[in-house]
Amino acid sequence: MRWLVYLFREAWTNLRTNRTTTMVAIVTTAFTLTCVGIFVLSYVNLRHAANWLQEDIKVIVYLDDRLPPEAIQELEDTLKADRMVGGLFYISKDQALGEFRAQFPSDSHLLEGLGENPLPASFVVTPAPNYRSLDSVNRWAERVTIMPGVAKVDYNQEWIDALAGLIRYIELAAISVGVILSMAAITIIGNTIRLALFARREEIEILRLIGATRAFIRIPYVIEGAVLGVCGSTLSLGILKLGFELFRRQIGSVGRFSGIESLVTFLPISGCAAFVGVGMVLGIAGSMVSLRRFGEARG
Amino acid sequence: MIQLIHVSKSYDRRVALSDLTLEIGKGEFVLLMGPSGAGKSTLLRMLIGEERPDQGQIFVQGKNVGQLRQSEVPYLRRKIGTVFQEFHLLPKKSVFENVALPLLVQRSSAADIRRKVTEALRAVGVEHKKDQSPASLSTGEQQRVCIARAIVNGPVVLLADEPTGNLDPERTAEIIELFKLINARGTTVVVATHDPHVMALVNRRVMTLIQGVLMPEVQRGDA
Repeated sequence: MRWLVYLFREAWTNLRTNRTTTMVAIVTTAFTLTCVGIFVLSYVNLRHAANWLQEDIKVIVYLDDRLPPEAIQELEDTLKADRMVGGLFYISKDQALGEFRAQFPSDSHLLEGLGENPLPASFVVTPAPNYRSLDSVNRWAERVTIMPGVAKVDYNQEWIDALAGLIRYIELAAISVGVILSMAAITIIGNTIRLALFARREEIEILRLIGATRAFIRIPYVIEGAVLGVCGSTLSLGILKLGFELFRRQIGSVGRFSGIESLVTFLPISGCAAFVGVGMVLGIAGSMVSLRRFGEARG
Repeated sequence: MIQLIHVSKSYDRRVALSDLTLEIGKGEFVLLMGPSGAGKSTLLRMLIGEERPDQGQIFVQGKNVGQLRQSEVPYLRRKIGTVFQEFHLLPKKSVFENVALPLLVQRSSAADIRRKVTEALRAVGVEHKKDQSPASLSTGEQQRVCIARAIVNGPVVLLADEPTGNLDPERTAEIIELFKLINARGTTVVVATHDPHVMALVNRRVMTLIQGVLMPEVQRGDA
């Protein structure tokens, strides 16, 4: 086990000997990963919002004004029997008018001049839990629109479509920025390892000549890269959490967004662990790149 | 123990070794003489798999060194102790830690390391300096530490490349005596040197290389 202690001690000695380089590598890696983290957080929250909207989706089935009460009852029975319908309730023309007046009291005079109540009766349908995806709702709406007595089917499709589009863009941006900045992190850590390799080239040469295997020589530098990656990503998580809490407090204090702050979420524990894991992998990749180049340079 | 069959090596058309054929038996003490640039270091580097011959074959303990895979070379080197002119001791490690390195790379146990390093340091006469840094030692002592590191894992062959190049005549004699003692315990010893004074100290087999060509051997011997 002494050899294992030796390998870890060598890695620790490298980190401690090149303290300034180590600190610079950790901080620059942290800021690089923070940029990636901002995209990841945006993506996670937009997905969260999309799921929330999807869970809350309501489809309004407007009825033809000339539909007799028996036909309305028949349509209600048909809809209730549909497995895609989780629940529904009926809003009569009078209830619709009442709701309009309650929601827009200053505009209620607009309807006075029309004499007859122009608002249609409707069914407000909540899709069954398994059928709340945009595709399912679209298909269901198309089927219901052509039913006799149905004037129009409406739901917050534009919102959901727009959000889905935005999520796709953010996802693409997160992947692109993630790949580019990951390369940057690998280069930063790789350069730090290269400095360590250069500083200890004589020691490496001696180890080779006394029969050290390639793995034995490389392990301390791989550990060093992993430590740099873990430290950088952990610091980056700290920066992200701080920024996230400030952002949440800020939007909570703006009256118009009041309540939204409880909806925005930080990365879950598993996400944080994965983030640190990615940092470690990037650190190891940086080490491997430098070790490979170092090996090639010395032939 | 060591066998070279028609070995040649060139660097950018400069011939380092030319059609070298030789054999060194188990337990022999051989002086490899020749001026700087004669090919002595190239030959030693080939024996530890650091260089590959352009032509010919090299056998160490029956293994064809030129055909070893890169991953097998470290295991060959563990059987060969190497002593350098420049000592190559790690300045930030103690004498003990420097000598322990070959055992660490072989993943020896802590108890084994303690026992073998102490024995090696005692054999070369610097046991009392084990906790010191190499920089605090004299050049003669540094070379003794280097020799201790080379013999700590009981190699079958000890190669020394200009081991007395940085030493005064008195220290040179001491180091050569040490090599004789190591050889007396059964280790094959090959000392490469350009120093004629060393030849005067060792009345053993001498091989002379000049411009990569092996000269006819002078057979002497007190052992």
